[in-house]
Amino acid sequence: MKVRDFVLPAAVFFAATLAGCAKKEPPASDSEVKAVFEKTLPSTVEDKIWQRAPLHTAKLLLQDMVEPRLMQASTSFVRVQSVTDGRNIAFRLSWNDATVDDVPGPGRFGDACAVQLPASTTADVPAPQMGEEGRPVEITYWSAIFQAVVNGRKDDISAIYPRVKVDHYPFEAPSLKPGSAAQQEMAKRYAPARSLGNPMAGPRKVPVQDLLAEGPGTIRQAEKSLSSGSGKYSQGGWSVLLVRPLPGGIQAGGRTQAAFAIWEGSHQEAGSRKMRTVWIPLSLGSAK
Amino acid sequence: MARVYNWQIGREMSYWYPERRSKKQFAAVFDTNKCIACQTCTLACKTTWTSGKGQEYMLWNNVETKPYGFYPLGWDVNLLEKLGAQNWDGQRYAGQTIFEAAQAGERVLGWRPDDIDYANPNVGEDDCVNAVDRGAYFSGVHNSWFFYLARICNHCTYPACLSSCPRASIYKRPEDGIVLIDQGRCRGYQECVKACPYKKTFYNAMTGTSEKCIACYPKIELGMQPQCFVNCIGKIRFAGWISKPENARADNPIDFLVHVKKVALPLFPQFGLEPNVYYIPPLNVPREFLVQMFGPNVDGALETYRNAPRDKDLSGLLTLFGSTELIVAKWKRVEEQIMGYDDSGREIIRVPLREPTHVRQAFDAARGVARTNIS
Repeated sequence: MKVRDFVLPAAVFFAATLAGCAKKEPPASDSEVKAVFEKTLPSTVEDKIWQRAPLHTAKLLLQDMVEPRLMQASTSFVRVQSVTDGRNIAFRLSWNDATVDDVPGPGRFGDACAVQLPASTTADVPAPQMGEEGRPVEITYWSAIFQAVVNGRKDDISAIYPRVKVDHYPFEAPSLKPGSAAQQEMAKRYAPARSLGNPMAGPRKVPVQDLLAEGPGTIRQAEKSLSSGSGKYSQGGWSVLLVRPLPGGIQAGGRTQAAFAIWEGSHQEAGSRKMRTVWIPLSLGSAK
Repeated sequence: MARVYNWQIGREMSYWYPERRSKKQFAAVFDTNKCIACQTCTLACKTTWTSGKGQEYMLWNNVETKPYGFYPLGWDVNLLEKLGAQNWDGQRYAGQTIFEAAQAGERVLGWRPDDIDYANPNVGEDDCVNAVDRGAYFSGVHNSWFFYLARICNHCTYPACLSSCPRASIYKRPEDGIVLIDQGRCRGYQECVKACPYKKTFYNAMTGTSEKCIACYPKIELGMQPQCFVNCIGKIRFAGWISKPENARADNPIDFLVHVKKVALPLFPQFGLEPNVYYIPPLNVPREFLVQMFGPNVDGALETYRNAPRDKDLSGLLTLFGSTELIVAKWKRVEEQIMGYDDSGREIIRVPLREPTHVRQAFDAARGVARTNIS
């Protein structure tokens, strides 16, 4: 055997082993989402911590309980990982998606995902379909449309339709100094949702929303916005980081339930038209 | 689904919510025969309400040429095709409404336009049916035809937008029946855009919510007619209040036109929404087209309208159109005078049945000039 005959396969084997080390698959967790304890929560979807967090693959079901329903399945599963530091909890959701849908418009919908937790941890959980009256659920919602704006897309019609020509906006008249109180006040008048503080209307600093619900159709903005997150599209799918405070009554080492939802924009999914999971047990690790 | 009564189709029907009529119902009559598609109404609305970002292609009021004009593209024909046969058994609609024809998983039978469908609001403008041969002239028979259809939200008694919203962000005001989208609550799911058969709810990509015609409710609350009514050059519009047929009062202008004279008809009553904008149908348009668009009472309405010159009450009331910015809640004709009153019974307008005619001499002797009569 010549040296060359030995070196080449050995190099290939060594390189493959290295690559395997760099892309270490996290351990699987089939029956529940296990939030591992870490002193510091991950700040991105690429954080190395995720290599240690068990991966739960959750099957997604059609939301076919209340009208309007989703009648045709789209995304079939979501991969969930979780990390807690005892005060906050981070989720990493990833799912396959052939298209990036992050542009709003008539007949256009954005990709999105959400994590749902019972607002208080008790022996039994509220209905998985967004809770029930008197037994609220807390929802952290991420939208690809929000993410695109946070990433720097101008919050303007020209960012969506680059060739658009607008003659005039009354609140951008030369007589109004840009950014002045009078100008801002007038601009609000032409965007009623924004002037009412509707969280759908922006301005937007984070791509997530903190929401509460007590049954289908009851979603509302939480009193405080405490969650953060970020989403990234690569290799035919989304990976989204959601970080939020632990819900009331649960701490490190405890157990609760979580549910997840995915909206596929190219499938015109929004609101109740979504793929969702049932409640999935969520166990929280603690400091050793 | 609840069972509700819709008098426009002469029967009960299924609706998402139980019947709960507002104390008063905003309503309007549009005389299509007087519309010249000048779009002054469109601009009045646009400059008042939709000059914001994300509203660039949004027209709460539009005027389209029928049969080839649409805003958004194909708004009516797309749904008519989906709905299937729409036969009437006399005054009773024998087909399905869009609530009854809803597919599994849906609250309403609908379709959702693409953004490009809003991009050509003047498509088909002035396009007429049948070619006009060179040298053709009018000989008493209209071989070619089109007409202008001015449209706003119908503030329906049974709104499809309201019934389709999964989070009840759309409401109908109990005091005047105006249908509004709560801009603080809407999350932009666009279910209402899909459901409204008239396509009069619009998604605003900049606010992330849907928006619609608000019937200029700040003006209504002051007893005034909306902007698109008072700016109408052709004086084709009249706003007021409508009663249920059994409560109709002849001294209520809208009741008189809709219930007493039956000269003004709802737009696509077969959809089942009990829309509250009523149209005096156009003359000289094929009957089949009008029946599909305005229901089975087209013949009677046109006959009544043709007879208006000999009907002092009808022609008298038509003179009140565009005569005042205020809402005429009650009216009366005394000989050759037509009076309009507000809600409190105060006289707010008085017009003659026929304007006095003045013939001006061609030569003004006092100033030594010849004048030309221009109108």
